[in-house]
Amino acid sequence: MNNKKTAVFDGLLGDNTVLSSLMVISPVIMCGNTLANAVALIYAFSAITFFSVVLGSFVPKRFPYAAKIIIYAVISSIVYIPVRTVAREFFPEVITHVGIYFPLLAVNSLIVVQSETKFCRMKRGTMIGSLVFYILGFDAVMIVTAFVRELLAYGTINGKLMDADTLISGLGLPFGGFIFLGLMCGLYRKVRSAARRENSETGGDGNVPRN
Amino acid sequence: MFLVTELVTLLATNLILTQALGTSTLFIAAGSKKNLLWTAMTITVFTSVGSGAAYTVNRILPDSLADLTLLFYTLIIGAIYVIFLAVLYYTDFASFATARKYVHISAFNCAVMGTLFTITDRAAAYPELNTFVRFVLSGAEAGTGFILAAFILTAAYRKLNSAKVPASFRGFPAMLVYLGLISMAVYALR
Repeated sequence: MNNKKTAVFDGLLGDNTVLSSLMVISPVIMCGNTLANAVALIYAFSAITFFSVVLGSFVPKRFPYAAKIIIYAVISSIVYIPVRTVAREFFPEVITHVGIYFPLLAVNSLIVVQSETKFCRMKRGTMIGSLVFYILGFDAVMIVTAFVRELLAYGTINGKLMDADTLISGLGLPFGGFIFLGLMCGLYRKVRSAARRENSETGGDGNVPRN
Repeated sequence: MFLVTELVTLLATNLILTQALGTSTLFIAAGSKKNLLWTAMTITVFTSVGSGAAYTVNRILPDSLADLTLLFYTLIIGAIYVIFLAVLYYTDFASFATARKYVHISAFNCAVMGTLFTITDRAAAYPELNTFVRFVLSGAEAGTGFILAAFILTAAYRKLNSAKVPASFRGFPAMLVYLGLISMAVYALR
C-alpha cells in the first residue's frame, strides 16, 4: 500500500519530471526566466499533458508501438488548439515572447514516451493520480527556476522591481538556464539521496525492514 | 578558412546550444559512439525531410488556420516515422531491431519539431529563406548542428561521468553545467 502511495507521488519528489528524468527541459531553460512566462507555460503544460495522456489512455493497447506514439502526438496537437485559444485571451504578450516553446509543449516526453512506457500500464485511477504529480513536478521546478532567475537576473519578481544589489544578467540567458538547471539537478539529487539514507537508517515509511 | 567560418556559423546557429532544443535526446546520443551515429543520422533525416514537408504545409495552410500548424507538422513527422520504419524493415531486416529504437527516440522530440518551427519563423522574418531548397538545407544544417553538439558532449562524457565528479553532480547535472559553459562560449560568438 505504501509502495503504491510512493509511486503516485513519485513525479513530484522521488522521480521529478525535470530534475530526475530530464524531461521537458527546453522550456525551463529558455523561458523559465520570468514568473509571467512560467505561469503561462505551467497552464499550457498542465492542460495539454493532462488531457492528452487521459485521452491517450483510451487508445487500444494492441496497436503497434509506433502507431500509438503517433496517435498520442496527434491527440496532444488537437488538445493544443483550444489551450492556445484560451492562452491568447489570458496571456497574449507571453505567448509572443515564449514563441516556439508553446507548441513544443505538445510533444513533451510525458505524452509521447511516458504515456506508453508508464501511464498506460497503470489502472486509470492510479494513472490520473500519478500524472497529476508528474505535472506538479514540472510546475514546481518551473516556478522555483523562474522566481530565482527573474530575481537574480533582472532584480524583479513578477515584473515588480525589488531591492536587489547585485544582478547576474547571464542567468536570464539560455546558458544561465543550463547552468542553473544543472546546479538545481545536483542539489535535488543530494537532498534525495540524503532523504533515502535517512529513511533506510530509520526504517523510513515501513518499506525498509530494520535490522 | 572557409571550414572555420562554416564551423563558427554552425555553432552560432546550433539549436541545442542556443535554444536548448533536443537536449534530453542529446544526452542519450552522447552515451556511446553507436548511439551518437544512429541518433544523429536519424534526426538529420527527420529534420531535412520534415522541413521540406513543412514548407509545403506553410504554403497550403491559410493564415486563419495557423493554429493547425502543429497538427499538420505532427502528421508530417508521423508519416516520415512510418515510412522510415517501413524502409528499414524491408531493406535491412537484420538491423531493424537495433535501428528502430533510434527512430522511436528521434521522431517526436523538441529537436525535430523545434527545427520545423524555427525554420518557419526564420522564413517569416527573412523572405529570401522562404524557398523549398532553403527549408531542406536549414533542416540538414540543424541535423548537422545536433551531430556537432553531440561530439562536443561525447568528448567530455567520460570525465563528466567519472568517479572524480561528486556523486550528486555526476552525469546529467554535470553535463547540463558543461553544456551551459559551451553555450556561453557560443553566445559570445553571435
